[in-house]
Amino acid sequence: MIRIEHVSKAFGRRKEVAAVRDASFTAPDGAITGLLGPNGAGKTTLLRILATLVVPDAGRATIDGRDVTGERFAVRRGIGVLSDARGLYPRLTARENIRYYGSLHGLGGRDLDARIDALVATLGLASIADRRTEGFSQGEKMKVAIARAIVHDPHTVLLDEPTNGLDIMSVRALREQLRGLRAQGKCLLFSTHVMQEIAALCDRIVILAQGKVIVEGSATDILAWSGAATLEDAFVTLIGSGEGLAA
Amino acid sequence: MSALSRIAVVAAKEVRETIRDRRTLLVLLVTAVAAGPVFLFLIFNLVARQADRAREIELPAVNVAQAPALADFLRRNQVRLVDAPANYEAQLRAGDLSVVLVVAPDFAAEVDAGRSATVHVVADRSRDRARTTISQVESLLRAYNRQWGSQRLLLRGVATSVAEPLRIEAVDLATPQQSGALILFLVAYYALLGSFMGGMAVALDVTAGERERQSLEPLLMTPARPLEIVLGKWLAVSCCNALVVVVTLAGFHLTLAYAPLPAIGVPFLFRMVEFARFLVVLLPLVLLMPAILLYVGSRGRSFKEAQANVSLLMFVASVVPAVQLFTQQREPAWFAAVPVSGQYSLLSHVLRGEAIAPSELALSYAIPVVLIIAALGAMARLLSRESALAGK
Repeated sequence: MIRIEHVSKAFGRRKEVAAVRDASFTAPDGAITGLLGPNGAGKTTLLRILATLVVPDAGRATIDGRDVTGERFAVRRGIGVLSDARGLYPRLTARENIRYYGSLHGLGGRDLDARIDALVATLGLASIADRRTEGFSQGEKMKVAIARAIVHDPHTVLLDEPTNGLDIMSVRALREQLRGLRAQGKCLLFSTHVMQEIAALCDRIVILAQGKVIVEGSATDILAWSGAATLEDAFVTLIGSGEGLAA
Repeated sequence: MSALSRIAVVAAKEVRETIRDRRTLLVLLVTAVAAGPVFLFLIFNLVARQADRAREIELPAVNVAQAPALADFLRRNQVRLVDAPANYEAQLRAGDLSVVLVVAPDFAAEVDAGRSATVHVVADRSRDRARTTISQVESLLRAYNRQWGSQRLLLRGVATSVAEPLRIEAVDLATPQQSGALILFLVAYYALLGSFMGGMAVALDVTAGERERQSLEPLLMTPARPLEIVLGKWLAVSCCNALVVVVTLAGFHLTLAYAPLPAIGVPFLFRMVEFARFLVVLLPLVLLMPAILLYVGSRGRSFKEAQANVSLLMFVASVVPAVQLFTQQREPAWFAAVPVSGQYSLLSHVLRGEAIAPSELALSYAIPVVLIIAALGAMARLLSRESALAGK
């Protein structure tokens, strides 16, 4: 369960660039919550706040009741993050890349091997697991990055634009993976600016523009609320009527 | 999971990744291994050639027929007299000739008349390379002058000591050392250089490289604290650095022990004892350089920027011993505490077979230890700042 309450964050020497402004929303367990917004809406900043890398200027963010600022390292143990930066170590094999993160999370021995084998199987990495990652395709790299992010079986999974640069087959595989995680009762939050992703996958949608939460709810809630026929229309209407396009 | 095991995990991963980078590692080790033999071979041959040249001088001369006794004296002293070319002055200026002996045309006549006869030593004294030959020729002429004069005195029944109240005998303590001074410098210098260079590529790779490959952010999101990550990386880079230093020194050791080098009377020993002492002296640098390199590497916004900064650092560090060699002055006492400088003078002591006082060694360790703590602490702070993520 992710809870964000009145969180604000600005960057720059004099805090002149406001990235997130008084944002509040929740992402429940056993559901996929989509963070939808145009470029620069503050999606990545919000995810980084949740990932404990960025400290909010105001407000409070908790994951499973733990404060992301005060209990930073306890929070890290319970979350898996597929961030915007998803570089792998090119001279290590896929398996070694995953194992490194598992070891840093305190796993080891047969438990870790078993966990890696399971991830390799479900993500379809078997044929490339023992190859160095330097020649991997975007889709292959993405799968390894996901495996790395969830190797410690976190209860909460944060994904920043996970489908960027993926072909349709990889996107479908990713969706399957996320649905599998939802079925296990995990809390999933992912950001995107691609409408289809939201429609295909999300139980709940949080629309973000200029650092503010415009609306939060299920797809039907949002359609009803905006009075639009499709989600895309709703998005444009909401952003336009908000501060997005009009500003 | 303890902090120690996370540090070990980071260190092990960095070492593994470095070993996988075969080409960089190979270049590094081959350079280190080859350094000793190649340098020693070149220097030994240079010194041996210089020694040969010192023994036999080729002296172009003009009008030498005027002074047959002088010519005989010079030949007895291993001087090969040749006819000077007509344009010898131009050749001297151009540096093709070192020195030319010009016997005055009226030499024989002046000698017969019992007056001082003139010989000219023509040379361009601004040329460093000619200097040795010039002074050798001059001292031979002085010796001849003395010999001739004392013969004349003896003929007149006067003791030589009358004309020569002062007898100068040069006792050169540095003589055996002299030919080896350059070698001594090079061995110490190369050992120092090894401790800078060994970890450079790796340090950049695990800092600026990690950032550029976009794997820094995921790493910072693990439960590993920034300081643990920093310590792990430092250990890994220090290991590589130590390996390069050991290999470099082994190259020197083996070359001096077994290679067929020209015999020039090496004025120092590089046995296992010196090998071990070198390692003890170099240890603070082997650990300090990675710490500084890591800090500089993680400050760079890009790999290129980090590389430029590191190169500057390397330049400064590698110039220090050279400056020390050329100033030729006795260093002030506080130099012993300055990293690089202190190590350099300790290494020279070791090569001369002198013992190192524990207090000197402790002094040379003090500043590096402080700097290591400062650099690693600063890097950990850097990584825990939000701006660590920027500039990816």
